[in-house]
Amino acid sequence: MPFQSALSVVAPVRDGAADELDRLLAEMGNGVANGEVIDFAQLSGVHFARIVVVPADTDHRGRPLPANLVYLADLDVSPEEHLSELARSAGEGVDRVFGHCEGYPAGRPGDHERLDWLRSRVARAPATYVNTRGRTKEQIVREAELREAVSDFLDRRPDLRDRHPRAVRDAIRKFVGGEPGLRWALEPADRPGFSARIREWAHLAWVALLVLIALPFTLLAAPVYALLLRRHEKRDPAPHNRADEATVLELAALEDHLPMNPFTAVGQVKPGPFRKVTINVILYLLNAVTRHLLKPGDLVGVKTIHFARWLFLNDRRQVLFASNYDGSLESYMDDFIDKISWGLNLVFTNGIGYPRTRWLIKDGCRDELAFKDYLRLHQVRTVVWHPAYGRLSTANVAANERLRKGLHSDIRDDREREWVQAL
Amino acid sequence: MTLERADIQGLFARGYSNLALATFLLLGLEDDGSGRRWLGDALSGVTTSEDRPERRAVNVAFTASGLGRLGVDGEALGQFSNEFVSGMTAPHRRRILADVGTSAPERWDWGGPGTPTVDGVLLLYATDRAEITALEEEQTAVLHRHGVQVLHRLGTSDLDGFEPFGWRDGVSQPLVEGLGKTGPESFTVKAGEFVLGYPNEYGRLTGHPPLGRNGSYLVFRQLAQDVRGFWRYLDSATRTADGAEDPAARLRLGSKFVGRWPSGAPLVLAPDADEPALAEENDFRYHRDDARGARCPVASHIRRSNPRDSLDPDPGSDDSLELNRRHRLLRRGREYGSPLTTDEALHAVDDGEPRGLHFICLSGNIARQFEFVQQTWLNDPKFAGLYDDADPLVGPSEPFGGCFTAPGEGIRERFTGVPRFVTVKGGAYFFMPGLAALRSLAGAGEPGNSSSPVGS
Repeated sequence: MPFQSALSVVAPVRDGAADELDRLLAEMGNGVANGEVIDFAQLSGVHFARIVVVPADTDHRGRPLPANLVYLADLDVSPEEHLSELARSAGEGVDRVFGHCEGYPAGRPGDHERLDWLRSRVARAPATYVNTRGRTKEQIVREAELREAVSDFLDRRPDLRDRHPRAVRDAIRKFVGGEPGLRWALEPADRPGFSARIREWAHLAWVALLVLIALPFTLLAAPVYALLLRRHEKRDPAPHNRADEATVLELAALEDHLPMNPFTAVGQVKPGPFRKVTINVILYLLNAVTRHLLKPGDLVGVKTIHFARWLFLNDRRQVLFASNYDGSLESYMDDFIDKISWGLNLVFTNGIGYPRTRWLIKDGCRDELAFKDYLRLHQVRTVVWHPAYGRLSTANVAANERLRKGLHSDIRDDREREWVQAL
Repeated sequence: MTLERADIQGLFARGYSNLALATFLLLGLEDDGSGRRWLGDALSGVTTSEDRPERRAVNVAFTASGLGRLGVDGEALGQFSNEFVSGMTAPHRRRILADVGTSAPERWDWGGPGTPTVDGVLLLYATDRAEITALEEEQTAVLHRHGVQVLHRLGTSDLDGFEPFGWRDGVSQPLVEGLGKTGPESFTVKAGEFVLGYPNEYGRLTGHPPLGRNGSYLVFRQLAQDVRGFWRYLDSATRTADGAEDPAARLRLGSKFVGRWPSGAPLVLAPDADEPALAEENDFRYHRDDARGARCPVASHIRRSNPRDSLDPDPGSDDSLELNRRHRLLRRGREYGSPLTTDEALHAVDDGEPRGLHFICLSGNIARQFEFVQQTWLNDPKFAGLYDDADPLVGPSEPFGGCFTAPGEGIRERFTGVPRFVTVKGGAYFFMPGLAALRSLAGAGEPGNSSSPVGS
């Protein structure tokens, strides 16, 4: 079993097809996908999926930024496996959706032709974040079933309330062992295999090597970089544009249908090589950090994100940010400001119109209202969004995992009592 | 920074607890200038934060439509917050506020799409029944003289500091910097969180048109409380194995819902039984004193409406308290309906009398304060790691959140199918302008130019 993968398909929308595409997407969902046209729930190992249209725009020089159809999926399988399953078992839906894109095979393409086209549109996300790497969708869904069954069992057995934690745990293990549909929980969950872990180590070693090689040059360049940075930061326009009521209402109409939400935003990279280099280096390092260094379930203080990614569009002139998070957008934005303002500033400060930063990480989103307006004004409507476990928060998923672990691992005394108290 | 108390309406500085009764008149204005003329007449009676009223107090606030009818143009209106302009019944706000099912705006007595547009609210306070009646008559006469319509009248009752379910209410209020009453710094909130024109908890000024200076957003919700349903649920959920009533367990479960005993004593400090000596006690913390919620459940009403030191990423720290300060409400609500004892609630025939709370709070940022608290802390069944527990007292039970979990020393107690005890009957987002702004609205001066704006 490999680690989770992030598939991104980016395809320019045909001229004149945007309205029809909007209508089709509206058939497929209203913030949450309804299974029409493409039923993501039927595909293997999909945690989250979304289809968004990034509207056409023009860049700072007036050159067109064509509209793109963007398909994103967070997967337990490899992107290749997912695409071929998509081409095979959801072919008709794929034709209907991607038929609005430039170069899509006319008529009724065969599975192979469809797959080839999809492959040709795959974009690589420079940075991704997974709440807990190695935890599959199947594990998450099954452990939630386990949790419900154990909770109901405890409700039926008030006599266990005053018993010793050991006796409680034994009773639960006996109950789980006696249920054919739950017996799997007495074994540990599958983890990514040896070869997948070797690849991770190899990647980490490669990044470390790159950093070491680059270090002397970085140190030499640092003073010049600092000067340039401050000049850019002082000069870049940072207007506070209010997000108008109509825009907010249109976006909010798609939100809060579940206790979790998707967020999609697109910004233009500031002009010039300085910003281009900065954003590329930062996303590269960010990816290395999220992949290798973070404690599972905790994005430096923010614990409510399931999956997230950054993606370049239109020759790296635009950056797309997409995430799946617990709770409301207001609380999500407050988390950004209150908990990881520095991390957010690092990336977003390279976007046109972002609130003014100092030294890449200071200020920026700390200008609360300017930041919240900026996000709303750059947000992209996410009409078709499929969460495989939309009623589970990251905290729920982690708690269910601990419940299962407590069934098969050897815990005693305090840890056993804590496990019982947390049920 | 010194607060310009004489320009801020009195409801900001005090809840008028010495004025036991109140009447709230919901107003409908015309476009013909009659509203301005009425306001010009009523101005001199408006209580300021400088006054210390002993018999009567009068305050006034307007919705976005009301400000429009008083002649505020679209550009100035657009400088108020989106929440205020689009109003409490904007479609997505039903999900934020859980105004669904029996609480859907279509079913409201006022403020909903099926009732006349509310343009303003006149808030009247007085010491006793005779005094409030006289004040209401006087004010109504002025309204009538100018042709301002009273769309709906909301009376209150004096329950002596208790809310209709029977618990002491209003124990915990934020300390506002510059308002006189002082306390620990970590619990003192910047004035700009509640009144516009002063720095907020981010050290910034919240944007507003000149007219907004020294004013506050005023959130008004009429919350009907199903007192009989509440006690009957507690009773049925705590019956003994042989079906007998268990009054002690019943009271204990109700107190677990609230997070305090009826006297007001917090469960964190009095876990086993009510201790009236602790009724006013408010100096406690959750993470430090009761991290798991074995005393005061994480799902309980007061723990989630003000989580104090229990917020991520670093519960128990000063940072956690700082985050909490960005989501405080300055509550100014009043109860209505006559008191009902537990015994009456359980055994007497339904008297059909409406009971509940006219919830009022003042806010500098409705989205970050009132709506955040409502959505992220009270209504979200996932609050602080919970599974399906909305606020047991005021939260929804559909489509999520009908569970209540009370952790203990061993296995938790879990209650499922907890119904909704509080139904929304009406509501609106108002703005309570400063005195200079009121004068300019009445046509006595240019908006906001009567004194120089701070920053902006």
